[in-house]
Amino acid sequence: MTPPATAAPAMSPNAMPQDSQANVDIMSVITRGTSWQWMLLLGLALLGVAQAAATLAYQTYVGLGIAGYQAPVFWAVYIVTFVFWIGIGHAGTLISAILFLFRAKWRNAINRGAEAMTVFAVLTAALFPLIHIGRLWKFYFLIPYPNQRGLWVNFKSPLLWDVFAVNTYMTISIVFFFVGLIPDFAIARDRTTGLRKFIYTILALGWQGKSGQWKAHNRTVLHLSGLATPLVLSVHSVVSWDFAMSIVPGWHATIFAPYFVAGAVFGGFAMVMVVMIPVRRIYGLEEYITDYHLENMSRFILFTSNICGYAYAMEYFIAWYSGVEFEQTSFWLRAFGPYWISTWCMITFNVIFPQLLWFKKLRTNIPFLFVLCFFINLGMWFERYVIIITSLSREFIPAAWGLYIPSLAELSILTGSFCWFSMFFILFLKGGPIIAMVEVKELIIHEKAHGGAH
Amino acid sequence: MPTLVSVFDLPGDVVAAVTKLKKRGFDDIETYSPAPFPEIDEAMDPKPSLVRLFTLIGGLTGVVTGFALQLWMSWDWEIKIAGKPFASIPPYVIIGFELTILFGGLLTFLGMLLAGKLYPTFKLDEHYSPRFSAEEFGVVVKCGDRDVAEIDALLRAQSAKEVTLVS
Repeated sequence: MTPPATAAPAMSPNAMPQDSQANVDIMSVITRGTSWQWMLLLGLALLGVAQAAATLAYQTYVGLGIAGYQAPVFWAVYIVTFVFWIGIGHAGTLISAILFLFRAKWRNAINRGAEAMTVFAVLTAALFPLIHIGRLWKFYFLIPYPNQRGLWVNFKSPLLWDVFAVNTYMTISIVFFFVGLIPDFAIARDRTTGLRKFIYTILALGWQGKSGQWKAHNRTVLHLSGLATPLVLSVHSVVSWDFAMSIVPGWHATIFAPYFVAGAVFGGFAMVMVVMIPVRRIYGLEEYITDYHLENMSRFILFTSNICGYAYAMEYFIAWYSGVEFEQTSFWLRAFGPYWISTWCMITFNVIFPQLLWFKKLRTNIPFLFVLCFFINLGMWFERYVIIITSLSREFIPAAWGLYIPSLAELSILTGSFCWFSMFFILFLKGGPIIAMVEVKELIIHEKAHGGAH
Repeated sequence: MPTLVSVFDLPGDVVAAVTKLKKRGFDDIETYSPAPFPEIDEAMDPKPSLVRLFTLIGGLTGVVTGFALQLWMSWDWEIKIAGKPFASIPPYVIIGFELTILFGGLLTFLGMLLAGKLYPTFKLDEHYSPRFSAEEFGVVVKCGDRDVAEIDALLRAQSAKEVTLVS
């Protein structure tokens, strides 16, 4: 037998000649000490959540009277906020699933942040139907369970479709998020010590990047993307049918499903920008989430903004063209009635301002993008406010019209929802890799392989 | 049994090494990759992943459950609304669809855990190294004593950065 060519000492398990720069940079977000700014932000978020929880407890005790509900408006800020957060979630699924299926590799740097956002946004949204029903302890009436009365839920109701759609969406988003995190948890496991290592070891499920593991993982990501793509389109369609299946003027429109989906993607992308621009700045991740990514995102925003603009225009056109007096009045009052401010905010923020993105100078101007996206989020919240409140407050008979003004309790819970979402995100910054390290390295290694080295 | 641990920089070299090893009949190979490169998995085992089957079964179970649930519940306590049939298929498509996705997705996840043998564990492979979660690829070959030299040469010929004999 010939002696082995290398009788070198066995590779020591921790001998790491050179760690990947991507690992080092992205792991440092987790491993660097917590700064006082982080603590302050978390504290503020917790404070916001606490005040909303107190409001909710009070509302549960005294009843929904403390919400500003006023006949005929019994769907109000809680539902507006529910639709808003469900919409925010859509960008994450779009980025992680649809762009994956289209092999748009630029998504690799932003998909983790967007997926995290999806999960947290859906966790926020899912609270609102419960807050809205008032009697929290009766939420299980929504679930088809065998009961003494032998009654079942009404499967012909869009509200029940919503229960199924939102719960499916929440489950699949969490599964998708976790599947993507497994290889990154393994990276974290190999680079941390103590309690952190213990937790990451359990979460990494023994991941070692073996070919059998990758094969199963790739297949799973592909199939989950394939499942999540129609799912995400269905979820906001179902949410829109909560309105469109009724006969309320302003709601009863066939355009609602595509209109809501486009709006959701639009608002979601804006939220990804609002969240990721500060994160990449604070943690010095500009090398991974580059200006190129932000520019691509702003193209998406421009595109979906125009779809929204088209839908707004079409709603008015159809209201006029239908010849239905109630529709016409509803839309006239939408623009010039008591809620004209919200309508014009919506049009200005969602359609007019984003037109500035036609200019490359502005698409690559990061502070501008941040401010613009902030306003888009505001505009998208107003869009739902306009759709829900103006339509309900101006139904058929003028004698039955009413005026709704949000109450302090509703504003408190609305604020709380933003804090609740931020709380999850702030915690996640320290808990999991905010950029998918594995997917970034996929690109780096591809580049190495085709970049002239060989 | 002698074990050769080799380290590579590029996925293409790993594919070439694995293909050549397999062709020479050395089948006891394990690869470790820092990122997904389907070509490596393909070279290791061309069979498509079992996960496909799980998604199919999950989806079919979901759609059957969705429709069965709604139809049975509608007929179990019949309520006539606006002269419509007790059970009407078109609105039931929505929950049927959602459950297809839900069951399909959950079973896909289960399929990944089973097919990839993933479960919470503290025991990693003996030759696994954190290098393989950085940017390097590992190919570990187990072979008989007399094949060590040949495999070593073969790995180096495919630009292995390091080849270490551990037994």
